[in-house]
Amino acid sequence: MLQEFEALFEQVEFLLIAGIVLVLAYLALEHKEIVYAAFFFGFMASFVAGFFLLLEAPFIAGMQIAVYTGGISALIIFAVLLLPRAQDSSLEEFATGRKRRVSLMISGLVVALSATLALVFPWAESFDEEIVVDLAQDLGALAQWLWVDNGIYVQMIALIMITALIGAIALLKMDKAEQMISLRGESGIGAEVESGESDPEPEPGAESEPEETSVVEESEEADG
Amino acid sequence: MVPLSWYLVFAFMLIGLGAYGMMVKRNLIRILIGAEIMGNGVNIALVAFSLYSPVFTFTGQGLIILVISVAAAHTALALVLMLMYNRRYDTVDLGTPIEEEVV
Repeated sequence: MLQEFEALFEQVEFLLIAGIVLVLAYLALEHKEIVYAAFFFGFMASFVAGFFLLLEAPFIAGMQIAVYTGGISALIIFAVLLLPRAQDSSLEEFATGRKRRVSLMISGLVVALSATLALVFPWAESFDEEIVVDLAQDLGALAQWLWVDNGIYVQMIALIMITALIGAIALLKMDKAEQMISLRGESGIGAEVESGESDPEPEPGAESEPEETSVVEESEEADG
Repeated sequence: MVPLSWYLVFAFMLIGLGAYGMMVKRNLIRILIGAEIMGNGVNIALVAFSLYSPVFTFTGQGLIILVISVAAAHTALALVLMLMYNRRYDTVDLGTPIEEEVV
């Protein structure tokens, strides 16, 4: 009797969290104000952690809250704040009705086919709770699996992450350096040197690229 | 006990919702949110498979730890690319600069 009640309670819990997650995911995609959309995504990530608790993976649930809610949604909110045009929801362009219907149809078809497969295929619908639950929640065993048995993969992931982050920083710096060079060419030191000697009007048909490259070369020599 | 098929159906619904967002939206931030929603759906399916497999191993949980770490890195990279796009085209809507060039 108690086990039946527990099973029923777990199913109700699942349906409740699933409904909340779906509504929050929809709001994260469709809410007009993009800042609110980012907040809704953060809330959705927190509720997804509830599924990991139901699936006997408390460490993953903690990690989900720390990384998705605390890290990724905060990053998205920072990006919204850094991009002034993104904050103005009146500037956002929305897809046409036809494209919306086609996308809805494609994604609906994919979901329907996958869900049919999930329901029809004879998956194992249960597991031995007495054995598996204790094993699944054993953090020491998880750490051993991750760091001792598969440590090389963790190191590979760490390398990928470092490469991605260094690449991101390098991209930003490169973009900034390009902007600095163009500024110097227009009104900086390089422009003064050029205009001091002679400031001829560029010919209508002439391209401005050779001048820019000479300014770049001059600035590089000066830096060197 | 919740059957495995329930988790899978829900995971596929999240993946479909994220895919819909990625197809329909033109705003880069919303496209990124769609990709993250899809990633969450995949994570749920992986952990569910791991728990309901005939012989329990930590493959699913370990994989999720790695996937979540990589998701954080790729989000940072995506945001940098977004900033660069905004600097170059002064918008975060995909497709706008191409249309302007054509006109």
